[in-house]
Amino acid sequence: MAVTCPVDLDTTRLRAEVQTMYARVATAPDGEFHFHRGSGYASTRLGYDANKLAALPSDVTSSFAGVGNPHAVSPIPPGAVVVDIGCGAGMDLLIAARRTGPTGQVIGVDMTEPMRRRAAAGAAACGLTNVEIRAGDATRLPVADASVDVVISNGVLNLVPEKGRAVAEIARILKPGGRVQIADIVIGKVLSDDCLRDIDLWTG
Amino acid sequence: MIGVFTSAGFTNVALTHRYDCFEGTTKQSTARRYRVQGVNLSAKRS
Repeated sequence: MAVTCPVDLDTTRLRAEVQTMYARVATAPDGEFHFHRGSGYASTRLGYDANKLAALPSDVTSSFAGVGNPHAVSPIPPGAVVVDIGCGAGMDLLIAARRTGPTGQVIGVDMTEPMRRRAAAGAAACGLTNVEIRAGDATRLPVADASVDVVISNGVLNLVPEKGRAVAEIARILKPGGRVQIADIVIGKVLSDDCLRDIDLWTG
Repeated sequence: MIGVFTSAGFTNVALTHRYDCFEGTTKQSTARRYRVQGVNLSAKRS
């Protein structure tokens, strides 16, 4: 939940814990977590269209663990190139793929292998040929410079200690005039240094 | 978050929606204590 990164935060351990947590969300989404998951949560609390979610594979929607709704910001235009940073099991990604259509392209980037497998399987199950899943993380996106129309993301940047670097990566891959529409969490209080060093608060 | 995007040269940076995404979870009280909310952010690359 932190906004800035203390210089002595163990970012290697944080990254490993995030990967472990989200591998578990991918493989056992009905387990115990401190955050909501699934299509019911997405439609009732975040305003997703329940009919669109029902048209996606349950393996995709059950592992959804976002904190907002990037698609509520603005519809993805037909033909757009879209990158989903931390695409997870692919719910936002596949919604974007249907919006942009066969003349567009969506690229999902995730550092957790079980999530990438789910997203790729979901795209195949939907017959979507404009979806590509790539391994990577927010601070080193495997995407060419100035090649993207819209960057989406949901509940990811808050888990990245190097936020300036992640946002610089977004700027690098977007075309001039390209759009960001991301969901994340904000904190209304200034956190102490002890809080900022607490890995449990970062992952929770 | 707005400051990070503005500093990186983005324009029209705005929070467009807010969500109580931790309501009903085991972290609800922590989220309330620190006033944690889900938000949507919109921005444009200049």
